[in-house]
Amino acid sequence: MKQIIMITLKGIFRDRIFQGIMALAVLFLVIPSAASLSMRQVTELSITLSLSLISFIMLLLAVFLGATSIWKDIERRYTFSVLSLPVSRPAYLAGRFLGVALFMLITASFLGVLAMIAIKAASFIYPSVRPVLWSAIAAAILFDALKYIIVVAVTMLLATVSTSFFLPVFGAVSTYLAGTITQQVYDYLQTSSAQTEVFTIVRKGAILFYYVIPNLSGFDLKIHAIYALPIDVKGAVLTALYFVVYTGIVLSVGTLVFARREMK
Amino acid sequence: MSRILRHSTLALLAVLLFAYGTVIGPFTEYMKHKPVEEKLGYLPSINVLRYASADHKELMGASLVMKVIMYYGGVIEKQQNKVMVQPPDYQRMSGILHGAVKLDPCNMDAYYMAQSFLTWEVKQYKLANDLLDYGMKYRSWDWMLPFFAGFNSAYFMKDSKKASEYYKRAGELSGDPLYFSLAGRYMQEAGQTDLAIAYLVAIVKGERNQAVRKNYQTRLAAFKEVRRVELARDRFKAARGVLPATVEQLTQGGFLAPPPVDPYGGTFFLEPDGKVSTTSRFSFAGVQNEKRQNSGESHERN
Repeated sequence: MKQIIMITLKGIFRDRIFQGIMALAVLFLVIPSAASLSMRQVTELSITLSLSLISFIMLLLAVFLGATSIWKDIERRYTFSVLSLPVSRPAYLAGRFLGVALFMLITASFLGVLAMIAIKAASFIYPSVRPVLWSAIAAAILFDALKYIIVVAVTMLLATVSTSFFLPVFGAVSTYLAGTITQQVYDYLQTSSAQTEVFTIVRKGAILFYYVIPNLSGFDLKIHAIYALPIDVKGAVLTALYFVVYTGIVLSVGTLVFARREMK
Repeated sequence: MSRILRHSTLALLAVLLFAYGTVIGPFTEYMKHKPVEEKLGYLPSINVLRYASADHKELMGASLVMKVIMYYGGVIEKQQNKVMVQPPDYQRMSGILHGAVKLDPCNMDAYYMAQSFLTWEVKQYKLANDLLDYGMKYRSWDWMLPFFAGFNSAYFMKDSKKASEYYKRAGELSGDPLYFSLAGRYMQEAGQTDLAIAYLVAIVKGERNQAVRKNYQTRLAAFKEVRRVELARDRFKAARGVLPATVEQLTQGGFLAPPPVDPYGGTFFLEPDGKVSTTSRFSFAGVQNEKRQNSGESHERN
């Protein structure tokens, strides 16, 4: 499995798509000057722009590299040669996933360093009244990476059943969008107006959906990083546990499906 | 690629470049003079935006605020350069800023921007303070929001009790004795103009946007002139026992030198009760209206 992880990492770093997407990181250079347009919160705006840029790059990487890795292997028939070696299907899937997850963490760290340089430059030129909470920024970037690792896990599950490129890619985008708003929908359904206005069956269906699709809003710590608000440690630990358990379930199901998949 | 094909492609490229050069001028001109509503854009329902912006709500909020800052900065810069323009669409600006704080309730630029025009320009003091109250729930560490709200309550709404509460809160958050003194001073009904000057000095000090800073500096200069006239008026009354009828009486009597200059281009005058006013209404637009109407109407300072 270690070899599969290493091969996955090498493959992604050599991929032209990766190099193209990472070219977006050049935008970090303009963040200090773009943030200077703010009237009262230059540093806060530089953090907002940096974290959003990281999130956008990670989303592209998750969609175009993470989501397609299994599909590409099957499409190019690499799986035939790999699985003819003494490597089990679960080990192959887990290796692929861990390789992509490791890649997401390495990329997040690299982008995080660039972001911190940009934020430091902005706060040096226009000192902020409120001190920058670097630990909150680091936590926001780490949880952002975990969020996209969940997206990758879901799309790998989709790739195990799909013969097409579209299901993993659009599945990744849909999972991201649905995962970020699911909590808002759930909160709305708990209100008294929703209790009377929404049909019971729709409400119950939506609540079931809430538990099935990943809840990604818990991983969004941007507001804490931007405004130097302390992070609730208990909440962060629970979110991390949720990540481990949810990803584990998704991968287990993916492994079961992949084990039964007929390779032609 | 054959030679003919290459030459045809080059010829086509030359034609397209020429066409681009022809179109880009009128296109830029069209964009420059786009109607105000189009420049600020039509904002979809904030609930839709909240869902559509996924986990980029802070970015979306910041971009809405930036849109308003750019638009407003452009308009007031033209006004400062005496270019005739439509007055800013304050209602639309207010709507966008209210939407922005629903996406990011901590965005200070939104509160600051709203405070700058909802009070002086639009006179929606309650709306401004409601927005500041909303911001105080989220920016619980920030002394500026209660400072703004205190000024609005004191200066515009004449609510001394509320002003004192806000200033007290600003004092507690900033640790600056100035706000405690303002809280106490306002309970004693201190001079309105002094209060406005103290407020504007604090604002100008922290302002980074050049156009907005210049706008505040102009207002500050005008209020300093008002204060000079008020002091001369008080000296006149102390010396002669009656209020002067005109500002000229003050200058001719040696109470006020040099004569006051309204940076907005208006003329200072005294109300029958001695209150100092100006024909500009403390805005460049006021002078333009005055010229248009040529009626010599007097307007209250507030």
